[in-house]
Amino acid sequence: MKKSWHFNRRTFLRGAGASLGLPFLECMGVEKAATLPSRFCSIYFPYGASLAKEGAEGSNWRWFPNGEGGRDFQFNDSLKSLEVHRDDITIIEGLSHLKVRKMGGHDTADTFLTGAELKPGQLKNTVSADQIAADAFGASTRYRSLVLSTDGGVGEPTRSSTLSFGRTGQPIPALNKPRIIYDRFFGVNSDSLNRQRRELANSASMLDLVYEHSKTVRGKLGKQDQEKFDEYLESVRSIEKRVERSESWLDVPKPDVDPTGLFLDADENTPAEYISTMYDLMYLAFQTDSTRVATYQIGNMNGATSIAGKFPELLGMPKNMHGLAHGWNKKGGAEALGKWDQFLAQQLSRFLDRMKSTSEGTGSLLDRTVVLYGTSNSNTHNNNNCPMLTAGGKAIGLRNGQHLKLGQEVPMSNLLLTLLQQIDVPVDSFSDSTQALSEILS
Amino acid sequence: MDRFSDLSKMRSTSIINLSGTLDALNSLPARGALGLIALLILLSPLLQAETLPPEVRAVLEEHCYKCHGPEKQKSKIRFDTLSTNLIKDRAAAETWHDALDVIHLGEMPPEDEPPLSSEERTVLTGWIQGQIDEVVAALSSTSGRVVVRRLNRFEYQNTMVDLLGVDLDYFSNLPPDSVSSEGFKNNGASLTMSPLQLEFYLDAARKGLRHAIINGDAPEIHRHQSSETTTDKKGDFSNRVGRGNAFVARMENFPDEGEFEIRVRARAELVEGKGFPRMKVRFGYRADTQAPAEDVGMVDVVSEEVTEFVFRQRIERFPIQSRGQSKFPGMMAWITNEYDDGEKFESIQTVEKEVENEKKAKKAKKAKKVKIYVEDPDFPKVVVESFEFIAPVYSSWPPNYHEEILFESPLRNTNESEYVTAVITRFMERAFRRSVEKGEVDVLMSYYRKIRPTVDRFEIAIREVMAMVLVSPEFLYLVEPGGEEKRSLSDYELASRLSYFLWSTMPDSALFEKAEAGQLSDSEVLKAEVARLLRDPRAGRFVTQFTNQWLDLGSVDRVAVNPEYYEDFDVLLKAEMQEETRAFFSEILCRDLSALNFLDSDFIVVNESLSRHYGLEKGPRGSTFESVKLSHDDPRGGLLTQASIMLGNSTGEDSHPILRAVWLRERILDDPPAPPPPNVPELNGESPDMARLSVRQQLEAHREDPSCADCHRGIDPWGVAMENFDAVGKWRDQIRRKVPNAKKRESWEELPVDATSELPGGIEVNGMSELKKYLVDQKREQFARALTSRMTSYALGRSLEFTDEEAIDEIASDFAASDFRLNYLINRIVESELFSTK
Repeated sequence: MKKSWHFNRRTFLRGAGASLGLPFLECMGVEKAATLPSRFCSIYFPYGASLAKEGAEGSNWRWFPNGEGGRDFQFNDSLKSLEVHRDDITIIEGLSHLKVRKMGGHDTADTFLTGAELKPGQLKNTVSADQIAADAFGASTRYRSLVLSTDGGVGEPTRSSTLSFGRTGQPIPALNKPRIIYDRFFGVNSDSLNRQRRELANSASMLDLVYEHSKTVRGKLGKQDQEKFDEYLESVRSIEKRVERSESWLDVPKPDVDPTGLFLDADENTPAEYISTMYDLMYLAFQTDSTRVATYQIGNMNGATSIAGKFPELLGMPKNMHGLAHGWNKKGGAEALGKWDQFLAQQLSRFLDRMKSTSEGTGSLLDRTVVLYGTSNSNTHNNNNCPMLTAGGKAIGLRNGQHLKLGQEVPMSNLLLTLLQQIDVPVDSFSDSTQALSEILS
Repeated sequence: MDRFSDLSKMRSTSIINLSGTLDALNSLPARGALGLIALLILLSPLLQAETLPPEVRAVLEEHCYKCHGPEKQKSKIRFDTLSTNLIKDRAAAETWHDALDVIHLGEMPPEDEPPLSSEERTVLTGWIQGQIDEVVAALSSTSGRVVVRRLNRFEYQNTMVDLLGVDLDYFSNLPPDSVSSEGFKNNGASLTMSPLQLEFYLDAARKGLRHAIINGDAPEIHRHQSSETTTDKKGDFSNRVGRGNAFVARMENFPDEGEFEIRVRARAELVEGKGFPRMKVRFGYRADTQAPAEDVGMVDVVSEEVTEFVFRQRIERFPIQSRGQSKFPGMMAWITNEYDDGEKFESIQTVEKEVENEKKAKKAKKAKKVKIYVEDPDFPKVVVESFEFIAPVYSSWPPNYHEEILFESPLRNTNESEYVTAVITRFMERAFRRSVEKGEVDVLMSYYRKIRPTVDRFEIAIREVMAMVLVSPEFLYLVEPGGEEKRSLSDYELASRLSYFLWSTMPDSALFEKAEAGQLSDSEVLKAEVARLLRDPRAGRFVTQFTNQWLDLGSVDRVAVNPEYYEDFDVLLKAEMQEETRAFFSEILCRDLSALNFLDSDFIVVNESLSRHYGLEKGPRGSTFESVKLSHDDPRGGLLTQASIMLGNSTGEDSHPILRAVWLRERILDDPPAPPPPNVPELNGESPDMARLSVRQQLEAHREDPSCADCHRGIDPWGVAMENFDAVGKWRDQIRRKVPNAKKRESWEELPVDATSELPGGIEVNGMSELKKYLVDQKREQFARALTSRMTSYALGRSLEFTDEEAIDEIASDFAASDFRLNYLINRIVESELFSTK
């Protein structure tokens, strides 16, 4: 590849640490000071996990470790592949969103990162934690956030296929095709720089005009239509901001990423390749500092329409996701579900491997990233005591290597608040949080 | 069965829709004295009804309060405190409405409670109906409005292709569309907009316009011809294309854009008793990201005479590796034979081959294992005589689509500004699907003037202006301006509704002309247009979209077939199963047959692979779907026995009577059971006996639990009657399944099928044939209404509300009176007030 005089931002950060002066930064389209970045990443799987009671049949597949918690916990079979990351993770037992417990068991993927209660008849959500982080970091990277899900799009309220919700609670569509994600983040734009620059400049004035014109269109609509139409107006407004951002990034070449080993054509018929590629794309986006915020919903809880439902069966397991979750207390059910949990944990473990083996500053990429991995059910659609773990963040004050048992009255929002605070997002509260979760702080 | 469970959620969509209209009504007084008076007149009878009439209360007390009263509130329904002001309390309105439904259906009071006497029934249902009628009347001036609706991905793609004339992929980057509660992807309330989408729209617009408005001289035409395939070591490249081998062509020169043609001259080698060989052409090559080739086309080769097949596509839709990268072998095309006779034959075999080992020549000759291709003599073949690639192909330069946008005009060279204005105006009119006003054009011209000085050719500036048109709301949405009052649609709006209903795209020029001339309000003209649209191949989109979504054919893709249970199952058959159902719909529509054929028919529509799957003795020989008459005693026929429906509602191992029943009630009878309540108790799975029971017995055990029985006695029996059809839709007399035995090893066992069932109301049916007969005899009106309401919902792009019921009832009964003809139904919907008002 032709060498550009522009520095690859990643190379620069890795090699130079925090000491370089501003001029270099300016030539890279970056306004913020050169401290090392922090990142937020959340991965969600639906329907809970295998949770046989300690000592009962199949309890070796219990997602949570047995015992009273603390640092000397023993992994059960589901999470055994995380043993190598023992010092980088905290398994948290007991958490859930308090308001969300009132909702139907299938309705809670929407609120995993928001903590809102979707009330019947309105189904309004609120902003998700990752998007608060995206607002804080967005200006520093080419993309504000990377929002992924297996099903893609937004789904429907209570059956969301995205984890991310904007400031007003509007769902942010998730990307689900590896090749499109790759092209967007790392693909080379074959258009000349001049043409790109011209188009961006045009876009700015075009969108201004479209916005003004659309307001007059809105005025001619009925009341119901106006409400629907506001989605469009807001989108125009916010894409205008994106155009500005793109202009400032135009001179920074996209990172040169070798796609070898990525399964860019993986789809819902090849679950192992697909999930690992989605993780890889998040890893690459972080590694190249293309974004600092990523979410991935492995499956949504729409049993009737989720294309991810059949993943376990394609991997040779006896039932689909929903069936496994329902069968947790039947004979052999704890093991059957546990094996699915195990598969998912192996995928996570591989992601953590890659994050950890990439150095940044004096530590690794993982050390400045908070990873929240979990679900919004415990079992059979109960919305409490949700299996959840955090990983990474060692260099930004997270204490790991523990199995934390919390009381059922602790809101999950406390965890989200704490994660945001540790990555230096200036927030005092999040959703229904009451205080920071000091147990995970070092 | 209890339909009350979790009503608030189940009905959430309609409540949302209703709330808008109610809010609108509630805000009326603010609009002036006249409105206030009108409102008082409307409300006065309702205010009097605030208290429940004593005779109604007496019936409720006697039959309902026990479970839905002060002591118990089954399904969270409580009647003694439920508001009777249906206008103010919209949730209460919905609850009363559902109560009416379940009483009508005989589901309430439940079987184990004393039934309503006919007098009591009259009092209760009469009162509820009366209340609802009043609400309907009060709301009819504002209710049932079509919400401003974004084009969905499919409509967007079609519209872009029709508008620009360039068949590129405009939609793959767009996120999937949300599905409405009825399963439709064109519901205005469900379709959302986001900055990400808008960004993709702008990219797609610019990309499309770069191709549609050309800039430059006629490009050089590349030709490649070969009569022999390229070769490889295994010998699985051949001109004789049979099982597992391919004809491969390599082109060194090709353009990056434009249409290309692939011309294949080929003949068939047919085999007695087997189907036609099926030629598939794939094209494209990109080694760096391992992008696989894409399909160009597929066709049966039916003749042993040489025939020329011509495939035409845009090259931009295929993976191309950037030139100049090392080891670029050129562009590749593959011809394969996709026919599958279901036989197992290893085409690639490992054989021991005597080879001369040069280095150790003195030592003995060594046997070496090599892989070679072995031809199956009993497999029909495509014999490729020649292959030709031509690109780009164009009949004139500039191409027609370019001339369509930048049309010939004397102004062109004399007055650029006026010419551009004319060009933009025409483009806007087509994009906005209506006439435009000067002021609207001025906005775009101001943008044109802004960028024109920055570029050297006016075409470049025009592309930008047109891109702006393509991200404007009037293009991306079906915009129907309107205030609080209902109004008739303009001709243009009607034309758009019609073309998106039947073609999933913008109106064509003929329809535009009718709209422009104001002729669509003439019912004869409208009728003629409906007939014309339905005759056009684009009506196939309606068939595809409506059938897929109405019947949820996507479910087939969500079920993984377990190969342990169905060893020979070929995943490719799934797509053919879905196609069968669409072809069946198409057959009924095109031949103007009765829609009752959906319930049962004396024919099926299959191709070679499906007829083999079904075990038909005599079926079509090719991949084309054909109608096949069934013998009198054949249990097949109708939708219910189609593999797509059976598989989509199975576990991939066995049937799933509950899913099948829910599907039937929801999609065919429009009487969906309530979703399972939260925290459904698990069956006692620990009991080792449970696993040994047949599904039917398990369901019976399930219903012994009263909390399950409430709902499931109205569900399970429908599915049990379908037990003779296995997960992949084949007939069975035995249920084959794997059971753990004492030694923890797995073994297979067979249970006899028992498909006798008692439907709600004590109707006994024995198996699928009797179930279908019952549906045809007893449920035809209900089915007609269900189909009417689904199709109307699709046609309008919105959910129906109970204010629409009267209109739907009318359409449905006319539909039934027309001998259930689909053509009639479509026409009837189009001429209905629902369709022609905003």
